[in-house]
Amino acid sequence: MVHDPRLNKISRRTALALPLGLVASSSTIFNNLAKADQPVRGGTMVMIVQPEPSTLAHYAVTAGNIPPIATQIYEGLVTYDWDQNPQPNLATSWEIAPDGKSITFKLREGVVFHNGKPFTSADVQFSFMEILKKYHPIAPLLLAELTGVDTPDEKTAVLLLANPAPYLMKGLAGRDLPIMCKSVFEGTQILQNPSANKPIGTGPFKFGQWDRGQFVRLDRNEKYWKPGLPYLDHIIARFIPDAATRSAALETGEAHFAGYSAVNYADLARMKTNPTLDTTMKGYEMTPALSVLELNAKHAPLDKKEVRQAIAYAIDRNVILRDVMYGYGKPATGPLSSLFKTVGFYTDDVHKYDVPDRLDIANRLLDGAGLPRGANGMRFGMHLEVNSFGEQWLRQAEYLKQALAIVGIDLTLRSEDTATWLRRVYTEYDYDINEPFLSQGVDPVYGLNKQYLASQIRKGVTFVNDSFYANPEFDGILNEAMREQDHDKRAVLYKKAQQILAEDCPLVWLIDVQYVSVFNRKLHDHTTGPLGTQQAFERAWLET
Amino acid sequence: MRFARYMGYRLVTALPVIFGIIVLNFLLIHLAPGDAASVLAGESGAATPEYMDALRHKFGLDQSLGMQFLTYLSNMAHFNLGYSYRNDADVSGLILERLGPTSLLMLTAFGTAVVLGIILGLVAATGRNSWRDNIISLVSLVAYATPGFWLGLMMIVIFSIGLGWLPTSGFDTVGAGHEGWAEVKDVARHLVMPAVSLALFYLALYARLMRASVLEQTGMDYVTTARAKGQTERRIMTGHVLRNALLPIVTIAGVQAGNLIGGSIVVETVFGWPGIGTLAFNALQSRDLNLLLAIFFMSACLIVVINLAVDVIYVMLDPRMEI
Repeated sequence: MVHDPRLNKISRRTALALPLGLVASSSTIFNNLAKADQPVRGGTMVMIVQPEPSTLAHYAVTAGNIPPIATQIYEGLVTYDWDQNPQPNLATSWEIAPDGKSITFKLREGVVFHNGKPFTSADVQFSFMEILKKYHPIAPLLLAELTGVDTPDEKTAVLLLANPAPYLMKGLAGRDLPIMCKSVFEGTQILQNPSANKPIGTGPFKFGQWDRGQFVRLDRNEKYWKPGLPYLDHIIARFIPDAATRSAALETGEAHFAGYSAVNYADLARMKTNPTLDTTMKGYEMTPALSVLELNAKHAPLDKKEVRQAIAYAIDRNVILRDVMYGYGKPATGPLSSLFKTVGFYTDDVHKYDVPDRLDIANRLLDGAGLPRGANGMRFGMHLEVNSFGEQWLRQAEYLKQALAIVGIDLTLRSEDTATWLRRVYTEYDYDINEPFLSQGVDPVYGLNKQYLASQIRKGVTFVNDSFYANPEFDGILNEAMREQDHDKRAVLYKKAQQILAEDCPLVWLIDVQYVSVFNRKLHDHTTGPLGTQQAFERAWLET
Repeated sequence: MRFARYMGYRLVTALPVIFGIIVLNFLLIHLAPGDAASVLAGESGAATPEYMDALRHKFGLDQSLGMQFLTYLSNMAHFNLGYSYRNDADVSGLILERLGPTSLLMLTAFGTAVVLGIILGLVAATGRNSWRDNIISLVSLVAYATPGFWLGLMMIVIFSIGLGWLPTSGFDTVGAGHEGWAEVKDVARHLVMPAVSLALFYLALYARLMRASVLEQTGMDYVTTARAKGQTERRIMTGHVLRNALLPIVTIAGVQAGNLIGGSIVVETVFGWPGIGTLAFNALQSRDLNLLLAIFFMSACLIVVINLAVDVIYVMLDPRMEI
């Protein structure tokens, strides 16, 4: 049997979550503005998505600006409640085999795709084996153990696994592993399929129109399988490149919702004083991310643990939090986001760098590493590659230059455009310190494995192990944790892994990022689960 | 007949120029480090080498530069601008979509600027050092010195947030389903602020240029002669001075009209206007070479055509010049 108590509870549960029940509970959990108000049918919700996606091929590209649109159209086998337990969606129930090597899904009856084709196990099989396994960028992590999908009947799909993959039950939402229609893709070149930008799914909204540079329009799916839903007639995703104009569009009421920090942190204080607007930090519980410094261990003196630790000591994370992030987020304590606390994998019982005498320690470590200060007070110079994905990273870099100068490290900032920056760091390894922003996925497997396993030192691949961290003991723990079915045993392994990393300090962890949504008070029930903006707005409604 | 032969000759000699531009653009673009596959994979957060190899193969980036160039030339020879893999769409479609809004914005702004600039310059010059001249000169100096993005944002604050008269951004009200005149009015309301913030800079430029040009011409001998013949001041101005004073305006306007297709990244960004400027900028950022080359190619063609048009306008204004 399954040992994980969380999964166990769910696997016995069948289709209990009737749509109306979910509506009621979510309103009380989150949206206290709605109170007794009854949802209203109709209306057009305008949300801001930033930047405009280049494609809607959600199954082959995982850029963060695609899911807010794509998850209205594509659904996953399950969805998640606030405690991040899987809930029935396209699958009504599931059973994990005692050996963990197969998961049997019972599929929902009466679901049809937007093109009128009924949803069956063949679609699940095709989506997993022919599309996701082959073309999804994170499939090599998420679906590494998947060997096949059995379809004993139209409404049963069995995922076959080479080894237990306990993390898989966390990644089955429409955001991570969407289900596509087999007949749309069969016999075509998957990556050149015309449905890339005219997606066809089972979700509450159908693709309507995409005027590039302006908006994507989604239309109500009249045949959606949840009776009476969705409430809205249309969702318009608008693209406004300028941050100040985005804020203005919310203030004038032209737009109702902006998730994923599409509004500059700097504007949030002003937004909060506007009586028509409100903000929430909910809906990002399954979108953990850390801002970090990657240290190239091939470039002396970063090969010395003491030097890396000294850098970690020298930085005051509270300054970054206050001056760069405008107070949104938390100082990072280690390699995992504190959002993993909910599922019991996070620990702060690790080597601590935010201590009162941190500057003395840093200086002592650098002295001990044989790096005395020169005539100008500097011990050595390094280049910092400035993250090109936004202005805030330059501000962070400017602070880092000052902070490291205090302990005698002379940073030179280098700003390049995205393509040049990525090539320098991940293909040519021609960098000392890099300043990326790392998404950590829904399970420690994603964030930890790709960043720290020695096998993930892969020239030319972006956002993997480019700091050359290689620790066989650590690799062993991570590989064991990946296959361990017992939740508590996994937690123990991950605790150990975090402690080792914090001690070895291959990266410097800066901020546990917190996204913010801004919304018009007329819009209700927009954030109904931990996936927030990255799940369907089927229960969202607009006051008239 | 001579006119047609001249046009034909000019168009034929333009071909090697355009070919040269194509070759140069292609080579310059490939000097930029990084490629579309790494940007795409970068945005995806993580990817495998196999995934990136597959992308490079799909984009044709695994072929030699010479081979890529031949493919590109052969496509161009067939009037095929290629496919944007990043956008999963045909390049020609992507550009055509933006051409309408770009032309609308640029022609409105540019047309207003040229016409109003000429009039204001004339008014200022004919009343030299009068209150009219002083006001026009002062306003055009301020407009010339004001950055377009700042003006745009200030207009949003005043007219959208403060007064609620105009929409903040976009091309039309999405999902409003306007048709006919309602749609025209809706687009016009969206057009006002971007057009004004773009036009003001050019307007100031042309007003100042026109003023200086008219003043220079009024000091010429032929004006004295005309006056001696007993012509009225109005007749001197419209019949003699204006034509001559327009020549520098046509020259400058011809040069600047070449920028039309490039759009204005700043104004497009501030007002969320779906123009070609931002399309080109994003294409460059993401190393979407087919798209970028196509935009370059189109601007090159436009500039050749505009140069030709400017030469023809010269002849019309000044009969001393010949084709």
